[in-house]
Amino acid sequence: MKLLTHNMLTSHVKGVTKGYPLLIKATEVKVNEVEFNPQFISRMIPKLEWSAFIQAAEGLGHLQNLPSTVVPEFENNEDFLRDVHKVLLEVEVIEGCLQCPESGREFPISRGVPNMLLNEDES
Amino acid sequence: MSTQNESCDGHLSTGANSLANDRERLSVFTVTIGATVPTGFEHTAAEEVGEKIGAEARISKDRGRIYFEISTDKLPMVHHLKSVDNLFVIVKEFENYPFKDSKEEALSDLMQLASQLPWADALGVWRMNNSLKKRRGRRRGGNNTKPKPSKGEDAPVPAMDEGDSVVTTTEKVQQESDAPQEKEGDRASSHEEEELEDDATKPLKFRVTCSRAGDKHSFASNEAARDFGGAVQDFFQWKADMTKFDVEVLLNIHNNEMVIGVALTEESLHRRNITHFGPTTLRSTLAYGMLRLCQPQVSDVIIDPMCGTGAIPVEGCIEWQDSFFVAGDNNDMAVSRTVNNINYIQKRKQDGGSSAPGLPVDTVQWDLCHLPMRTSSVDIIVTDMPFGKRIGSRKKNWDLYPSCLREMARVCRPGTGKAILLTQDKKCFLKAISRMGGLWRKLPTVWVNVGGLHAGVFALKRTSSVFGTTPEDDRSPREDGEARSKSKEEQ
Repeated sequence: MKLLTHNMLTSHVKGVTKGYPLLIKATEVKVNEVEFNPQFISRMIPKLEWSAFIQAAEGLGHLQNLPSTVVPEFENNEDFLRDVHKVLLEVEVIEGCLQCPESGREFPISRGVPNMLLNEDES
Repeated sequence: MSTQNESCDGHLSTGANSLANDRERLSVFTVTIGATVPTGFEHTAAEEVGEKIGAEARISKDRGRIYFEISTDKLPMVHHLKSVDNLFVIVKEFENYPFKDSKEEALSDLMQLASQLPWADALGVWRMNNSLKKRRGRRRGGNNTKPKPSKGEDAPVPAMDEGDSVVTTTEKVQQESDAPQEKEGDRASSHEEEELEDDATKPLKFRVTCSRAGDKHSFASNEAARDFGGAVQDFFQWKADMTKFDVEVLLNIHNNEMVIGVALTEESLHRRNITHFGPTTLRSTLAYGMLRLCQPQVSDVIIDPMCGTGAIPVEGCIEWQDSFFVAGDNNDMAVSRTVNNINYIQKRKQDGGSSAPGLPVDTVQWDLCHLPMRTSSVDIIVTDMPFGKRIGSRKKNWDLYPSCLREMARVCRPGTGKAILLTQDKKCFLKAISRMGGLWRKLPTVWVNVGGLHAGVFALKRTSSVFGTTPEDDRSPREDGEARSKSKEEQ
């Protein structure tokens, strides 16, 4: 699971109102190189929930140089874009789980795939 | 020999001297290529041809076929086309062939035709194509049934088979197509590549496949194939073999149009990027066609919430690396196969020498009706919906379609978002959509044929209404008593 995907995932357990962002508990993390596309990163940044992204990166020990708020005029800042690219697309959680911040319910991650299926009573 | 040359294409001129001159240069000539594509996607295929090859494709009246001209140095590029199922090179096209009324005469005409056709160029392309195939097979460790090469692997300019300059009289075809001759330096490598079928002393094996459409013909396709095939056999002294053939001659008859071609691909290339199949794996060419309809933009988030074995996201993340794909399914096996298919592609990239083999794709196990995604976070939803005949059931679709259309509307970005959905259960789908006018606007449908079933690729545009503010959002499928009487049914 890449952090870009994590940024979009939320808990949808019945009754939960604040199911985002999910807390990552990783037992295995890998870095898988992906081709850098500055345009992609630059257009994706405004769509991200930046604080959730930083929080997740920090939790995985991959915060590196990332700032707590987006730098102004980042579109032309290649170093910044490369840093974001690495953490957003190359860091992958292979094993672990995602935890709902409100209910505490854990969704397992196995082989890089989070299992977000709910039981009958939870949906 | 000379009579054959006279009926051939212009630049293979008559006379031994001219033939010798032709052999001097590595000649590049123009041919017409035909391609079969999923019916309904002829236009997207023509677009791809224009984009990747720069050729203008024309769409045949015979559905599912497009034609375009290329110079032979561009041959490797046609194998990179993703919308195409099968490729063939045209020997000759007849726009209005005068088929005789009596079966005997019509078939006799076809038999005579065999010896009069300009085979040389087409067969030259056929042989160039064989060299290309062998190159690709060797690069991947000699396994010729593996899928087409990924983007980085462009085949070099094809070398002609040196060995053919020494031919026996039984192989007239190889003498004719010898004109494009390779340079000195390539002699050694082409010898290595020669396999059994290029052994100059063995006659080629062939078969004729005929497809015939129209109600005014006096003969059937198998009769045409048989008689035309017989004449081809006499002419070339090839051996007929239905299963292990080197050359496949295609005879396509559509009313008064007739096209004779030579196949450049084998049947089995429909699922090029999928190694782990499931019960209903979608053809890669169809997946590609659907993705083209979406017109993915840079940084678009594209999800397939019922991905099955992942055919669509896999095709997507290879061709549109500027977008991000999320493959999702509720089924364990589907998720596992999708992961395997993605890993296979990444490994293939890595083996091909890529230092950044990772792809912009992720997989999540989820329930389509309760997508664990933030509202308005998705740009495009593209999926192959359960048909109810092979997976699920009609009754299940009745409840499934409205719920999933609603959930898809929630996650899809208002105003700019869109959905491209393939389904055979058109009635159920249209009914479900008719009650969602506040969230989804219907765009033109593309009608396709999937495994013999007539299906529709429905394109929807997300309205700019915020989810939760339109009347249909809160209603569950069973409460629709009012809606049914109010809304018009689109059938």
